Order: sequence, then C-alpha cells, then structure tokens
Amino acid sequence: MTDDVTIKLLAPEIVLIGIATLIYLAGAFARPGFRPLGFALLGLFGAAVAMLATRDLSGGMLAYPPETMLSGPLVMDLFGHTARWGILIAGGLLVLLADRPREERQAAEYTGSLLLIIAGLMLAATANDLVLLFMGLELVSIPTYVVLYLGKRGPAAQEATTKYFFLSVLSSAVLLYGFSFLYGLGGSSRLDIIAGALREQYAEAGSLGPFASVALILVFAALAFRLAAVPFHFYAPDVFHGTSNANAGLLSTLPKAAGLVVLIRLLLGAMPGIEPLAWKLALVVSVLTMTLGNVVALWQSNIRRLLAYSSIAHAGYMLIGLSVGLAQVAIAPSAEPQEAIGVNGIGTALFYLAVYAVATLGTFAALAYLSTERKSVDDLDELAGLSQTHPFIAGAIAVFMFSLAGIPPLAGFWGKFALFSGTIDLGAPVGGDWTELQQWFFALAIIGVANAAIAAAYYLRIVATMYFRSPETAAAPVPAARPAGVRQEPEPALATAMALVLVIGMGIFPGRVIDVSDAAGAAVSAATPIHVGESLRDSASLLEETRPRGAAGEAQ
Amino acid sequence: MEYLLIFTVLLPLIGATLIWLLASEGGGFVRLTALFTSLVTLGLAAYLISKYQIGDNNFAVSDSVWLGGDDAVVNVHFSLGLDGLGLWLFGLSALLTVTSVLVSWQAITDRAATFYALLLTLETGMLGVFTARDIILFYIFFEFTLLPLFFLIGVWGSEERRYAAVKFFLFTLAGSLLTFLSLLAIVLWHRFETGNLTFLIPELTAGLREHPIPNDYNHAYLQLLIFLGLFAGFAIKVPLFPLHTWLPLAHVQAPTAGSVILAGILLKIGTYGFLRFSLPMLPEASAQCMPWILWLSVAGILYGAMVALAQTDIKRLIAYSSVSHLGFCMLGIFVFNPLGLQGGALQMINHGLSTGGLFAVVGMIYERYHTRQIADLGGLARRLPILSFFFLLLTFSSIGLPGLNGFAGEFLLLTGAFQRGWSGAPAALGSQLLWIAALSTFGVVLGAWYMLYLVQRVFFGPLKEPVLDHGPTSRGFSAEQPHEHGGVRVHRDPGQGDEEHAHAHPAGEVHRGDHGDGHAHPARQPLPPGPIDMTPREVFALAPLVVFIFWIGLYPQFFLDYLAPAVDPIGVEVTEYIYAEHGPPQQRESAEPLVATGEAAND
Repeated sequence: MTDDVTIKLLAPEIVLIGIATLIYLAGAFARPGFRPLGFALLGLFGAAVAMLATRDLSGGMLAYPPETMLSGPLVMDLFGHTARWGILIAGGLLVLLADRPREERQAAEYTGSLLLIIAGLMLAATANDLVLLFMGLELVSIPTYVVLYLGKRGPAAQEATTKYFFLSVLSSAVLLYGFSFLYGLGGSSRLDIIAGALREQYAEAGSLGPFASVALILVFAALAFRLAAVPFHFYAPDVFHGTSNANAGLLSTLPKAAGLVVLIRLLLGAMPGIEPLAWKLALVVSVLTMTLGNVVALWQSNIRRLLAYSSIAHAGYMLIGLSVGLAQVAIAPSAEPQEAIGVNGIGTALFYLAVYAVATLGTFAALAYLSTERKSVDDLDELAGLSQTHPFIAGAIAVFMFSLAGIPPLAGFWGKFALFSGTIDLGAPVGGDWTELQQWFFALAIIGVANAAIAAAYYLRIVATMYFRSPETAAAPVPAARPAGVRQEPEPALATAMALVLVIGMGIFPGRVIDVSDAAGAAVSAATPIHVGESLRDSASLLEETRPRGAAGEAQ
Repeated sequence: MEYLLIFTVLLPLIGATLIWLLASEGGGFVRLTALFTSLVTLGLAAYLISKYQIGDNNFAVSDSVWLGGDDAVVNVHFSLGLDGLGLWLFGLSALLTVTSVLVSWQAITDRAATFYALLLTLETGMLGVFTARDIILFYIFFEFTLLPLFFLIGVWGSEERRYAAVKFFLFTLAGSLLTFLSLLAIVLWHRFETGNLTFLIPELTAGLREHPIPNDYNHAYLQLLIFLGLFAGFAIKVPLFPLHTWLPLAHVQAPTAGSVILAGILLKIGTYGFLRFSLPMLPEASAQCMPWILWLSVAGILYGAMVALAQTDIKRLIAYSSVSHLGFCMLGIFVFNPLGLQGGALQMINHGLSTGGLFAVVGMIYERYHTRQIADLGGLARRLPILSFFFLLLTFSSIGLPGLNGFAGEFLLLTGAFQRGWSGAPAALGSQLLWIAALSTFGVVLGAWYMLYLVQRVFFGPLKEPVLDHGPTSRGFSAEQPHEHGGVRVHRDPGQGDEEHAHAHPAGEVHRGDHGDGHAHPARQPLPPGPIDMTPREVFALAPLVVFIFWIGLYPQFFLDYLAPAVDPIGVEVTEYIYAEHGPPQQRESAEPLVATGEAAND
C-alpha cells in the first residue's frame, strides 16, 4: 500500500526518472548538437537533494537511522541508504565518463538510459517486495541493452549486445522462478513477511526444508549472473570485448552492485535460517570465481577482456565478504552481530564494492578519454609508453591498478584489509578446536591472498607496459595528440580525476567509508525489517511506530 | 620530539612532491632539491639519534588514531617511535639515501625529476618501516617500499629491467600477503584473549607474552602457522635460501641507486621483521623452527658464496655475496643468545654500509666503462687509484678484516653460534649447531676468496679497459678509441702509451681535468687517456660510509650499547622454549658463558 510518505521516500528515483524522460523527449525534438550532460548532472544533483530532503522521513544517511523502517513496499534502512548514496556517486562518474560527443545523434537516449539504470538500481536497493525488487532489476537490465547497442557499432558490438540480452533475460527468468518459491514459502511477496514465515518454520522444524534451498540456489544463480560470478561469468569477457570502454565501465560496476546488493537483501533480509547453507555456497563460488578470473586474466592481451576477468575476480572477493557475513549470522543468530563480531562481513563486501567500483570506473574513464570516436583503445599493447605521451592518464591508471591489486596506501588495500580481517577472524583456530567452519575460512583466507598475488601480476603488466616501454615498441600506440579535427571531450578526464581523488582519499582516510559500510552491513545482518506499518501518515508516526526488531513475527 | 620524528619521516615525501611539481625547473634544480632534502633528513635523523637515550623504548613516540577507535571494529593508529632495534637502521636509511642521490647525479638524465621523487618517496617508506609502532602502519610502509623501487628498476634499469622489476615485485608481494594474514591473525588472537583490540606493536608484544598463542594440535598449531606466514614475507625479503632467486636479477638490473638502497636497507626489513615480530611474539614457533632456519642460513651462506665465485659480472657477484651475508645475519638472529642477536643486528648495519658502498663503486665503474664484466676489466688500480682504494676498503669491510666493521659483526655472531652449540643447546641440537657454526665459519673463508679474487682480477694486473665509442651514451666518461683487440684494450707495456692521445682528449676530462689520471701519478710513465678517477662528489658519497666502517670496526661497543637492550631480551624467552622443546641444555665443564657484550670484538 502506498501513501504520501512512500512517494516522498521515492523522490530521488522519481527525480531521476523524470529527468530521464525529459532527456528522451528533448532528444527527439532538439537539434543534433543537443547535449544532455547538463540535464543528467542536474538530475543526479536533484536526486541527491531529494535524498537529503527526505532525510527526516527516513532517518537519513547522515543521521544513521537507528532502526529499519518499512513504508509500503520500501524498506528504509542504513543498508539501502548507503547503497543509494554509493550508486549516486558511481552514477555521477559514469555519466561523466560515458559522455557522448556533440555529433552523436543518440546522445539523449544514451544518457537517459543511464539515469534509468541508476534509478532502477536505487529502487532495487530499497525494495521490500519481490515485485518491486524485480522491477528495479529490470529497470537496470532493459536500459542496459539500449546502452550496449548505442555504445558501439559493428558486428562485435551486435554480438555482445545480443549475448548480453539473451543471458540477461534468462537470468531474470531464473530469478523469477526463485521468487516463486519464496512466495510459496512465505505466502506473500513482502520480504519481511517471508522472513517471518521462514523464521517460524525454522523455529518449529529446525531447518527450512528443500524448497528454501531450491529458492536459494535459483536466486543465487540469477544474481551470480549480474555479479559475473563463476559459472555465470562467461558472457563478461565477450561482452566487454565487443563494446565500448564506457559501456564496459558501466557493465563492470552497476550490474555487479545490483547483484551484490540484492543478494545481500534477499539472503539476509528475507531468508533467515538459510545462512548455514548460503555461506558455504557463497564461499565455494567465491573461491572458484576469484581463482578463475585471476588466472585467466593473466593471458589476456585485450585490455577490456583483461579487465572483464579482473571484474570477475573482484566479484569473487565481494563474495568472500558475503560469505563471512552469512557465516557470522549463522554462528551467532541471537547475538547482536556488531557486538559479537569484530568486522562485519557484509560491511566489508560493501566497502570492497565501493573501492572496486571507483578504481574500475576510473580506469575505464581513462581509457574512454584516450579513445576517439573512430579509434577506441583495445589492446594492452596500445598503452605502451603511455607514461611519456599522457603522463597524467598513465599515472592515474597506475594508481587504479595498484589500488585494484591492493597495494597500500591506496583504497584497495583497505578493501583487502577489511575482507581478510573478517575472514581470518572466522578462520583462525581460536577457542579450543578447529571447527569445520574455521577450516573453511582459513582456507578461504589463504586462497584469497594467493589470488591477490596472482592478480598483482596482470595489474603490474599494465603498469609495466605504460611505464617501462616506449611508444615506439608498440604497433599502434595511443598518439600523444588528437588527430586534427577530432575534438577532445574533457569529461572522461574529469571522471578520471574524480576517481583518482577518491581512490587516494579513501586510501589515506578510509575511516569514514569503512564505518559507514560496516554500519550498513550490520543494519542488514541485524536481521529482518522490524516495522510493519501499513499506512504511515507522517514521519513522526513513522518513527513512533518503529518497534524493536524481532517483533516482525508477532506483527503478522 | 615526536613531531620532529614525524617530520623527518615525511620530509622526503614533501621533497618528492616538490620535485614532482617543479620538474620543469630542470635537472640541476631537481638534483639539488633531492640532495638538500636527503641531507636535511639525514641531519634530522642524526639529531634524533643523538638525543636517543640507551634503552629507551618510547623515544619520540607519537600516537594518534587513524582508523576506527577503541570501541570501533578497527583501531589502527598512526604511531611512530624509535627504539634500539630500529635506531641504526633508521639512520642508515637516511645515510644511504644521500649516497644514492649522489651516485645518481650524472647517471640519471632521463626523467630525472621522477627518479629523484621516487627515490625520496622510497626513503619515506624506509624511515616509516623502522619507526612504525602500529602493525598495520608497518605493513603499509613495508609494502609501500615496493612501489618506488618497482619503478626505479623498471624505468631506469638495464636490459632485462622489466622482467626484473615485475619478478621483484611479485615475489615480495606474494610473500608479504601471507605476512599480512599473519599480522591480522596476531591482532585478532590478542583481541580474542584480552578483549582489547589493538594494533600497537608494543602492546601486542606484551600481550602475547602473557597470553602466548597456542601451539598444539587442538589449535592446529596456530602459532606455527602464524610464524610460517610471517616467515614467507620476511624470508623472501631477506632473502633466505632458497627464496633468493629474485635478488640477483633485481640487483643486476637496477640502477646504482636502486641497488644501493635494495642491498643496504630493503633486505634488512626482512631481518628486522624477524626481530620485531617473529621472535618476540611467537617464541615457541621460533624455537621450533630454529634448526631449519639455521640450516637454511648456512645453505645460503655457502651457496651464495660459491655461486659468487663463479660469476663473471661484478654486480651479480656482489648480489650473491648479499645472499651469503644475509645468511650470516639470519644465523646470528636465530641462535637466540645475546652474542648472536647483537652480532646479527650489527651485521645488518655492516652489510648495509659495505655492500651498499660496493654497489655504489660498481656503479661508478659502470659509468666509466659501460661494462660490469670482470673479463673486460683489469688493473684499474693504476687508472682509478682513489676508486680502487674505496673498493678495496669496502671489500675488506665486507670480508671481515679485523679493525673494520665486518669483523665485529661476524665475530660476534659466529661466537654466538659456537656458544649456543657448545654450551647452550640441548644434546639433541648441540652437535647439529656446532656443525652449523663450523660450516658458516667456512663461509667467511669463501667470502674472502671470492671478494679478493674479484679485486685481483679487476683492480690489479695489467691495465685492461673496454673500448667505447664517443656516443651520447658515454656521458663524458668514455675511454679513448684506440687500437684494440676484440673490443678490449690491453696495455701489456705501459711505456707504449701514445702521447698524441693526450691531445685528442675526450670531453669527460675537460671540465674536471684536475682529477685526471695524470694528477694521480705524476712520476709514472703516462697512461693512455681514459676515464678520470673519482670526483669529489663521488668521494663525498662514499666517505660517510667509510667513517662508519672504521667507527664500527674500531669501537663497536658504542653501537652495541644501543642494540643490546633492545635485542637481548628477545632471546631469553625463545631460549626457554628451546629447552622446553628439545630438552635441557648440555652441561659442559668448560662452558663458561661468555658475557653478553661485544667486548670480545673490541680488540
């Protein structure tokens, strides 16, 4: 049931979708030189303002809502808020890096679709209803097909788009199938009600039964596609290869964020009791994903293919955090997670996602900057001697690579620090005997660091190509200056610079971001939504009716 | 004082930023700024050391929360401080950076600003490693030293530089990631036992002394596992045989300044790590692994020395000698008695001085002749007497001539090894340890052999110089282009030196004619014109090292007084674990325990 509070809470998404519609309309009527970038930035800014304005309603990002609150089909908690802010920031970078030249006729469609993707992702992050959740995910997927098609022409791009389209549709179908099991188990499409039903069943029977496992596996498989996790990763290299650098930047971040956020929301928010199975699943998939991604990346010569495998590997790292978070809930179902456990696994996964997204977006922004309409940078070889022709861009890419490799004092180091802290925390044989769980996580920590070492090899290769070779050694190096008549768009460089500031800033002052991610992770793993208010008139009553968590069951 | 320490550590970084920003000012400005920064840093470091009171473990300690807090999930502090263990390495880092800047003065012309900026950044990393009091801060500096050196080797190195840089980076990183896990595990165990989440090294050391990490089957030998994780990173860094394979490659390919820093400081981070973390925090596992590590050290000593004997490249020879020398350091540390520990710690400094200096001289030879091949060179003592003097002196220091620093360190640690084997070891270990000590003494002999053999071939005998073109690559040092056989000019009879070559002089001597070879040997028959001897700049680069070589050699007690309070306690607890592990020490009648000082080495 919706009411005005829900509408107000949705204001950021509404602003984004409204602006996107405006851009579409303007694109149809405006002159070919129409440039939607200003509108898009305005939309993002408006969304940010709307988030701040609705802060009183939701508790807000800055004020750390103490409890999880429900409003209509929305769940307003710190997790959702953190994700929304993160998505907005990433969206800002993406809009800048994917800015299209003036001459491009479909610039409006492209940018409008980007805004829709961002809005869909924000919606998915705060959905408390299977239907709304699915809608949010589709609002991510469908504009992505458009964006992929518009990004680059040619047979390879067509193939990439088609491949992505079919597999994405398939994953949506699998997700729906999984949702149908959840609906059957819970008797409702609302996540909190499903959670209540499952919790009751768990309390009665001591296990969730086979259907919950089926639902878990289907949901996990479908979202593993968005994450590009093994064995649903295989589209990524081909699609990245075939599309433009800007699109690859989009694909490597937003769908992954969608996959991770929704996975966390579903597994921790809607399926209590599934954790003992889920952490093992996440752990095994994580090990396979990072190992395969890293090892295969070693042999790549196309830079987007290489980064595709790198993005697969990083999906594996994020799953480490998810697995740790699930296991933490599994071993301490009753305790307050943030007190019982040092580092919240979900928080580390979120932090890692942020760190990864910034560095990856920065890299693709730099590559987009180096590319022109006619010639995009494709091969690693083309970057030879970049440090001499484009010192700033080369330096930025080097910083991003070192961050992705996890070298201090860059942001990526803290990402790995957080992940491995959580893993070792669970895996170290303390407390008398070495339990099976500890053994699993101990092995995970070792495999994780081994992977970090492997990953460093190909990141170093990129740096070595840029710094240790001269442009003359490459067949077709990136030219130092643009050919005459080709305009240089400054926006990708701006996106690169912003990402650079973020990577270094988060490296030197990681505290705030880690705190926020940790609190967000704790908020979602603290269990299911607490408040079941069907009709809320204003923020005062919303806060008033907020009840301590755990009351969800009785409220039904 | 604590602000001064922070400032000293960060000053090179500030200098690097300045150089990077003002790169357009030109090479002269860049070099002078780099030299000025490193000199000021050295001055500040010297001032700090002079203010340090022996035995003080809390000198110039700063402590501020960096990430998290007492009640948060993480609690990383930005905490620097000096103690006896890090003191001399701290000073050595500042000293060798000055040397590195000076030896790069003319060798580096390509992208000089970036070069010096990286060199100074590296200095901040090194100073940070030896002063960090927070375990994560230590690790950050530890890893951070990789980045500048990676670029120094990869951009300014020789032919195989790319491979060498990547191999160096990956080897070290692979090991240090396991170290990272172990460091995290130490912190988490400490929190588990005491409920106190801290990353501060002194607190952790004290906490783990009271609550040792379990090392039994039920806990999956946790302490041993953590030890092995630390070992992976530190042993690769040292490098301990058989993990040394990256070292010769990196050394040979690195530019001179990179080799100096790598040999002088970066390798010591490994041994420093053992002394700082492994031994005090994991004494039981250290005792357990002692025989293994000692045997690896001996293998490294002998293997490094024998491979060095077979080398044809001077730089590679010295690189292998590093493997051998670091084996001695490890040997001293892992016998766990005061003599060994002090000797090992002192030998870390000694090796930094002598091998760092040797690499600098090899770089000077390379600048003059563009070769490092022993076969291409000969009789350089006539051509380059001052340079030869320095090389010879550094060689003597390296092989442990009494009166120079190498002797003090090696004597102490070998005495320590014999002492442990003779009277301080359980019966099960005693004979093994005596064998180890005897074999490593043999390593000293081998060390003298390969170094003196090198000196004999390169600096004595008939003058033999490679022939070079006057290309732009020769940078003003090139030899004359004369009648040659096979690229190498051999002057069997000095009387045949052609007079007319004195007129066709290469550019190198024009602006520094007063240091020409004729100046050095006014009475002898004239040499054919060739490279000039050491310039004042080069002398100045090496002179401080020589001062310390004599100082440590003649009065080691001064340095040991600082080291002893820091390293002696480390061994006590480990020794108890040795007895617990392998049985009580053997009783020998003649076993009069040597006093735990360096008196033996004084005279």
